[in-house]
Amino acid sequence: MASKSTRTTFSNFQASFLALTAVRLWISLTDLSITLKHDHQLSSPLTSFSQLQEGIYLFKHDIDPYSGGSFRHSPILLSFFATILPNSRKLASVLWTLIDAAGAWSLVQIWRSRQNVISSPWDILIASLYLLNPYIFLPSLALSTSSFENTLMLLSIMLASQGRASASLLALSLLLHLSLSSIVMLLPILLLLINDPHSHLASPKPMANSLRKMVPLFGEFTVYTGILTILSTIVAGSWAWIPQTWGATLTLPDLTPNTGLWWYFFTEMFDHFRPFFLMVFSVHLLIYVVPTCIKFQHDPLYATFIMLGILGTFKPYTTLSDPGLFLSMIAIFPETYPYLRHPIVTALLHLHSALLMPLFHHLWLTQGTGNANFFYATTLVFACSNGAALVDSIWAGLRIAIGPPVDNYTVVQE
Amino acid sequence: MLFLSVLHLFLCLSSWAWGVYSLDTQEQIVRNFFEKNGSPVGETGSTHTNNWAVLVCSSRYWFNYRHMANALGMYRTVKRLGIPDSNIILMLADDASCNSRNKFPGSVYANPGRHLDLSGDNIEVDYRGYEVTVENFIRVLTGRMDPSVPRSKRLLSDERSNIFVYMTGHGGNEFLKFQDNEEISAFDIADAFEQMYQKKRYNEIFFMIDTCQANTMYSKLYSPNILATGSSNLGENSYSHANDNDIGVAVIDAFTHYVLEFMEKINKTSQVSMQELLSSVDVTKINSHPGVRTDLFRRSLDKTRITDFFGGVAQVEIVPPLDVADMNTPDEAIPESTNKGKGDNESQEHLQLHSDVPSGSTPQEPSTLAKALNWMGEKEWKNARAWASVTLIGFLASWAASKH
Amino acid sequence: MDSSGNLIPRWRRVLLRLRESVLTSGDVNEKRIRRRKRLVDIITRRLTLVKTALFISGYLWFLLIPSPHLGRGTYIDENALQPGQVNTDWNWGDVHVADNYLARLEQIRDGNFTSEQRAQWLSEEFGKLGIASSTQRYSFSTSTAVCTEDSVSSTFSRVDPTFQHLNGSNAYAVLASPRHSGTEAMVISASWVSRIGEEDGTLNMRGVSTILALAGFLKRYSYWGKDIIFVVSDGYLEGMQAWLGAYHGVSQSGLSREPLKLTSGVIWTALNIDYPGHSFSHLGVFFEGLNGRMPNQDLINSFDRIARYTAGVPVTLYEHLDPREEPAANKSPSWLPQALYNISEVKSYLYQAKNVVRHMKYQANGRGSGVHGLFHQFRIDAITLFALPATGPHGFHAIGRTIESTLRTMNNLLERLHASFFFYIMTGPQRFLKIGFYLPSAILISMGMMFHGLSAWVDAGWVQENIDYEASEPKKPTTYSQKQTWKRRRRPVISVLCIMIATHLLGIILFSLVSSTLFMENYKVLSPIVFTAFASVPLLALQISPISNPDIAPIFLVLKVLNLCFASTVISIITLLNFSLAASLTVLVGMPLVFSSPSVSLHWRLMKFAGCVNLGLGWLLFCQGEMVQAVWNWEVLTVWFAPFICIVYLPLLLQASVTCLLPP
Repeated sequence: MASKSTRTTFSNFQASFLALTAVRLWISLTDLSITLKHDHQLSSPLTSFSQLQEGIYLFKHDIDPYSGGSFRHSPILLSFFATILPNSRKLASVLWTLIDAAGAWSLVQIWRSRQNVISSPWDILIASLYLLNPYIFLPSLALSTSSFENTLMLLSIMLASQGRASASLLALSLLLHLSLSSIVMLLPILLLLINDPHSHLASPKPMANSLRKMVPLFGEFTVYTGILTILSTIVAGSWAWIPQTWGATLTLPDLTPNTGLWWYFFTEMFDHFRPFFLMVFSVHLLIYVVPTCIKFQHDPLYATFIMLGILGTFKPYTTLSDPGLFLSMIAIFPETYPYLRHPIVTALLHLHSALLMPLFHHLWLTQGTGNANFFYATTLVFACSNGAALVDSIWAGLRIAIGPPVDNYTVVQE
Repeated sequence: MLFLSVLHLFLCLSSWAWGVYSLDTQEQIVRNFFEKNGSPVGETGSTHTNNWAVLVCSSRYWFNYRHMANALGMYRTVKRLGIPDSNIILMLADDASCNSRNKFPGSVYANPGRHLDLSGDNIEVDYRGYEVTVENFIRVLTGRMDPSVPRSKRLLSDERSNIFVYMTGHGGNEFLKFQDNEEISAFDIADAFEQMYQKKRYNEIFFMIDTCQANTMYSKLYSPNILATGSSNLGENSYSHANDNDIGVAVIDAFTHYVLEFMEKINKTSQVSMQELLSSVDVTKINSHPGVRTDLFRRSLDKTRITDFFGGVAQVEIVPPLDVADMNTPDEAIPESTNKGKGDNESQEHLQLHSDVPSGSTPQEPSTLAKALNWMGEKEWKNARAWASVTLIGFLASWAASKH
Repeated sequence: MDSSGNLIPRWRRVLLRLRESVLTSGDVNEKRIRRRKRLVDIITRRLTLVKTALFISGYLWFLLIPSPHLGRGTYIDENALQPGQVNTDWNWGDVHVADNYLARLEQIRDGNFTSEQRAQWLSEEFGKLGIASSTQRYSFSTSTAVCTEDSVSSTFSRVDPTFQHLNGSNAYAVLASPRHSGTEAMVISASWVSRIGEEDGTLNMRGVSTILALAGFLKRYSYWGKDIIFVVSDGYLEGMQAWLGAYHGVSQSGLSREPLKLTSGVIWTALNIDYPGHSFSHLGVFFEGLNGRMPNQDLINSFDRIARYTAGVPVTLYEHLDPREEPAANKSPSWLPQALYNISEVKSYLYQAKNVVRHMKYQANGRGSGVHGLFHQFRIDAITLFALPATGPHGFHAIGRTIESTLRTMNNLLERLHASFFFYIMTGPQRFLKIGFYLPSAILISMGMMFHGLSAWVDAGWVQENIDYEASEPKKPTTYSQKQTWKRRRRPVISVLCIMIATHLLGIILFSLVSSTLFMENYKVLSPIVFTAFASVPLLALQISPISNPDIAPIFLVLKVLNLCFASTVISIITLLNFSLAASLTVLVGMPLVFSSPSVSLHWRLMKFAGCVNLGLGWLLFCQGEMVQAVWNWEVLTVWFAPFICIVYLPLLLQASVTCLLPP
């Protein structure tokens, strides 16, 4: 009886999952992607599909795509799209939907391994929270390669939760090639690999496993990254791809507006301060890694989740799918919900910024009644709402250890 | 013996005395020469031998027509009073006469009735459009020029030059905008004048500026022998004088208009003093308070003639022909010249490299052949690279996936 | 707001005293917690007061907007414009030319030319002047037939009654700038039907003659820094929509049109001329664009200066005469005693209120106030000059001079208009309100709604122990010193979200239904049916049995919270896009949402429900004309008003009606 019911939920999940994917596919095949593909909020110069197509065109016509300043995608993407992956818009839409479906499936797998179950009635809710999250859905419609990054990230986490170290590290090093900022995810993933993914938030204890176990894993990661770097160089024909792809993340040559905090700041920057602040902004991303991992050493999956939030808020060249991944991942930590501090405030902040951002973008670039400051102001609001979600999650993740609230007692966290 | 030595001493003394006397008389002759064209009051007259004018209109765009008219009006006046084109550096940031909105193509007028076409004939604009920059202006004043700059674009003044510097445009407290792009500050001008002084590039300067809060622009000057005037005090605007209703924009600024109006009465031989010019401008008419700064200027204004700055000195002094390069090399900073040298070397090297190529043209042919062959296979080679990478990644992924 | 602002210092003082007396020792955290609790306590205790103050001040602010003491005089911000500084050359000879064109146009009107023939004639006339000209045919297929019924222009724009095809031909000409590259252009346009022709079919004959005469006149001058495009568009709005779409290469479903043979540079500014009468007394300015966009104020101000000083024509907003200047308009409304009306403040207030209300009407429904509004879709600042029909004293001479001088001013532009305001409310032709003076009204109300929602959220999260939850009317959380009689309870957010999404889906269904051809053809019959169908959907809520579990908050409370918070967000965000729409929302939605709550008696519940549903769906029964118009606007002009009403506004009220029906 029990096994039968398990099977029915399982097949129910599969059916609903397929239905969701079909809906996604149907929407992605409409002409929406044509109108969306140039939207600054959905794809950045590092993830835009039209720039990828331009790079492939140059590549196929014997021009080094990295010699100009327009193509900033990884040579790995270049090689895949120049060979086996489709280049036409319709087929690409299908591919992008499948990639998102893979991401959703990975998220469900992460949830299952965290709960240590084979299936649960919540599976479909989690999948739909990923597939129908507009922050993830819209960039995917716009064919932004950030969908690939999200799926690789989720795959890496999933494989790490299942203890498949090599595959996880390979996925992470592929991700690193697509987006340099993902390097901050290395430490949490390594921790996850030497620990189990189950929730230990309620009972924090120092990590039992020795950190020394991480060394061979780190070595493996380095090897994979090295191999991929060599492969990239083989594809690109020279080392010129490095300053154009990884270098762009560090030096911010393209100041096209996006949802992040960097572009406006560096538009206004005097040239002689630029290197200094580039350094500050880049290092700023790194300083969170170790504290987060130490604080959540008992639950590395939660640390990974927090790092995703930080990355989505502060990394250069963000698209909506970066914070979208963080927000969708909240779904797999239901134990923290009762301890969230101001969930309604955070939700309302997100509602405001989600409506304000496209509106001000429209006022600035379509109607011409606003200006760049309007849009930048909304990206600040957006960063605040992401920050609020992040702070809420950190608070809840730590607060849960103290147990349910008792009247006349207030918890203080320092 | 003693007598001889006494005679000797006497001779020495007398020759020394004569020498001293003759030196005095020579100086006197020189002074007389220079003061021939000065005022009759000898010691208060100007001692210049040549006149220069630097006229700057720093703003562009059609609605700033009046600034171009200001500068062109000044240009006409100084030219009429005898400064030749070779001694006038005219900087015009825009060309109002050829603007497509100009109802009278090719003409610029400074008065509503359009009596006088300032752009009519014989206009020599030395710096125009985007050449009018703060850097170029300061280079003109200080004479730090690239050797390639022609003489007509240089201020070839010396320590006997009286220079009239006129500026107009949009400004503010201690700055003047150049083309909505950059600004020159009062300090920049003061330092440029000081450099000119140290390099003995002027005898006296008359600095006139017509812009909003113009008087702040000369407040930082500190070099001697500069007379300065501006159109308005700190916090005041300088207003335009009149519109032409066919041209459709204001055609001249009030301060400049009244200065020019006064100047119309002056001719090459007039003895009118600067004092009269500067006190002729009526505050109620121009709606701002023009200012004059005399503390750096040695002479009294009522003894200074307008033609000391606006007119050309008629006398011609014959000097050995000047070598432009000679004149400029001492001015130029040393690094610049070394740079130049380096550049020359490099270009020579380049030349050599290039000359090498044709000599080795015969061995090049096989290489082009190889290149062609290479190119034939390049496409496939590239595809092969891409496929190899994809296959390797696929292999890697499947290996990693199957590891557990 | 004010009251709480005053209270904080007092609270600080109290706290300081407390700190000295009670908390001399103790750790920092404890002090901080006590302080925070006190603050929360103070805010919650006065929350009702704060909310009421927010609502009252917001609504009062609305009433203050037309006040003569608020706002300031207009001024010109862009240096390059230099308005009114030219002599105009338009003279009586040109007026004669215009008269001749008029006579021939009248022949064409009386000769029952088809729209294509007429466009051909216009194009030939432009050609005779030596200006490159062409025509453009277009055809809209819509589900609505608004123009077949209302417009008498059908004489010329042939309308196929079965398919609701809206056909026509535009004529246009491009006068290339003689000494410039033609990268920029300005447009002078006239629609064939005048704005008053929408009701009675008046044609804009004099407007068209002005354009023709101006074309010949302007060609004589060489000082144009931009190309000048003359457009005579067919119909009232649809012709220009087709022309502009073709000019900017935008495709639109339901519209087939010829591509333009002649094009020019980027259009920055446009003037639309509407001169329906024989003569005119005033030039009225219409400026509201599509979907609430407004033109840069510099354009209005330049035109105002030029008309008044160059041509000597008084300017009005719309066709509202200022009672302080025009004796003809100096009549007190019937509901106001004459003595009160004679107070100059009252008179000014009434006049300005009339302007503001008119503006809000034009802006809120997104249609704009005329042909110029269509230009706004493409970031072109445009206005309509409306020659107010009168027996005198002005005619072709005055309007020609005004346009000539305004074109000279527009010609002076070096970049798009950007210096002056885009967000403003004109209270008179020379008076306006900056954004800071009108925006707070709507924002205050939206804040009030948000506060109300948040307080309800707190209420939903707590229940008083040992007391039946039925009594859980809005209550204040305890202060820290009180006995713990409060217990947390779960809020059913997911199910409420499902209800909300369902109402929005319902809105989408309604919209696709209403904009279908089937519905529009029989809307008189179908409207009551659709109304009944959609109004009865919320009645399903009556089937939901009350939750007896005291650990779960009642659904209605959570629904109300989310409904209020969402409505508040929508309002505050729309203020910048379309203030008038946001203001209308605060009036229509504000109070109903705040007061929506279930009551014990079924009658009272149903009454509240009926009120909400009528507010949301009443247009199906009572504003059918507007409904058809709105759908037409959506289909032809892509005005977002109709979808907004169906997909955002209606669901908000449906949610409120469900709140009223749910078990308490």
